[in-house]
Amino acid sequence: MKAYPAEFELVAPRTLPDALSLLAREPGGWLPVAGGTDVMVQYSAGKLPARKLVSIWNLPELRRIEVTADEIQIGAGCTYTDLREHELINREFPLLSSSASWTGGIANQNRGTLGGNIINASPAADSLPALLVYEADLLLVSARGERRVPYVGFHIGYRKTQLAAGELIRAICLKTQFSGYYAHARKVGARNAQAISKVCLAALGLLADGVVDDIRLAMGSIAPIPVRLSETERIVKGKHIDPLLIQSARTMAASEVRPIDDIRSSARYRAAVAGNLVAEFLEQLGARGLRSENAKNVLARWNGLEQGKAAEEILPCCGSKAWAHGMAARRPLLHEAALLAACDEVWKGLPEADWLEAFRSHPRIGDSLSPTSAPARSAAWSGQEQQKVGAAGEDVKIALAAGNRAYEQKFNRIFIVCAAGKSAHEILEILRRRLQNDEITELNQAAEQQRHIARLRLKKWLSS
Amino acid sequence: MSQAPLDRAKSEITFTVNEKLETVHVYAMERLLDVLRHELGLTGTKEGCGEGECGSCSVLIDGMLVNSCLIPALQANDTKIVTIEGLAADGRLQILQEAFLVCGGAQCGICTPGMILASLHLLEKKPQPTLEEIREGLSGNLCRCTGYIQIFEAVADAARRGAST
Repeated sequence: MKAYPAEFELVAPRTLPDALSLLAREPGGWLPVAGGTDVMVQYSAGKLPARKLVSIWNLPELRRIEVTADEIQIGAGCTYTDLREHELINREFPLLSSSASWTGGIANQNRGTLGGNIINASPAADSLPALLVYEADLLLVSARGERRVPYVGFHIGYRKTQLAAGELIRAICLKTQFSGYYAHARKVGARNAQAISKVCLAALGLLADGVVDDIRLAMGSIAPIPVRLSETERIVKGKHIDPLLIQSARTMAASEVRPIDDIRSSARYRAAVAGNLVAEFLEQLGARGLRSENAKNVLARWNGLEQGKAAEEILPCCGSKAWAHGMAARRPLLHEAALLAACDEVWKGLPEADWLEAFRSHPRIGDSLSPTSAPARSAAWSGQEQQKVGAAGEDVKIALAAGNRAYEQKFNRIFIVCAAGKSAHEILEILRRRLQNDEITELNQAAEQQRHIARLRLKKWLSS
Repeated sequence: MSQAPLDRAKSEITFTVNEKLETVHVYAMERLLDVLRHELGLTGTKEGCGEGECGSCSVLIDGMLVNSCLIPALQANDTKIVTIEGLAADGRLQILQEAFLVCGGAQCGICTPGMILASLHLLEKKPQPTLEEIREGLSGNLCRCTGYIQIFEAVADAARRGAST
């Protein structure tokens, strides 16, 4: 601690108007501090030039998230945790919630604010590329009134902003206009938590008729301020994604960025990573386009089958005949989202006996054979889903077998868990926990797992 | 007796610490960490980096995990704070504390109070966390002894035994 607290003044007005009139009385004389995750670090290091601080932490006017018909207004004092926990932000602005998730650690996310991230104006700030691609507006407020400015252009140079003396950011406004876009965020750093990014990307892409209808790329840590890669966007827009286009975009992005050498990385590395991140995004966007084309073809063929055949084809995704017939009866289903929504509805509406039939179509975790004879396709999928279990050590496998026996004795059916991506250890943890459940709770949890399995399998089926 | 000039700049801060109402007279910009340690003698909260990177000064303010080295005292006014000293009751350790002991989740002990408060915060939000969620929940807390595995096991063990209830 290199600062002397006695040399500093800190006041905490109760309301936003109080804070603004204080700022107005002595423009530029007071430094606002919200959650302290930047200001307090400088303070303790003895590097804070200001001696008079005004706390704007938890001012109710700055901590609100307001949703209107066409936009969301995020109070500048909302924390990263607030962003991560807000359902609409997660759904409509995933780039913002994912960048919030890798800013600092949990304690800093509980205190650091979106407004603070903008005002601190670090070129490495993780949330700012997201604000660029969503084309956010800022509401700036002072004792004189409020003005709305586009966020792009707010940062005018290294750690410089357009904020006038006596002004605060009140809210960040995002238009809800990005449904259908593929959103992709990436941080390259020593680790996700705490470490500051070497390069970070926020990207949005929209495909129409096989070509890139809209693309927005923004990066941090590659220039004095976060920037859009407008040249790269320009050469990609309107084109069909193929390896040649990806290569030109990679080259363009690497030459468009203006990174520097510093303690975290070198300019050369950053430029190469910038190119690679753009290429990775375009590959994923292209693959997504192919997948959705492919899914449309699979569904078009399936929609044309007679009822019995259609049910038979989809049965391995779930194992319940009533579910398969229910799905077939809901045709035509034209795209993946409709198929998955139908899956959830049909599954939740089934009686217990049909749930149990689906459960019986699975092999025990750790076994390869199901209690009933499952279709070959179901057995193959089970094998893929349980891949990680097969790789476990003998002791874990023995513990799993014992857990399975205990479960079957208690509930009189096999243990159902969506095993995809889970290690034997994790499954064992879940099994032990669910053994404590009562019958009703457990039946519902097993059904929920089966629903996840069915959704995963439907996606695999669509890509077949 | 006249007060020393500097004392006049001190603020009165009232807060609840480990369920006990406390009033202290400190400079508004004093770090909560120093107030807890020096004014209240609660030295369980440790200073590691002093810049919000290591998590050893973690405490809960109104149920939220924070780094107390980054909180000016004035911002703690009117809040409810929980430090490591507030966990054990009647000389009995909490399930979570016991799990750290049993699983070998503590070695030199500097990170332990912060680790336990971060774990408590995690289990309150997610009573049955996956390994991935445990790793993320503790990602702001650094340990240079254990290699983390025993700590993750301690949290999983405490979750199994219903630490959050």
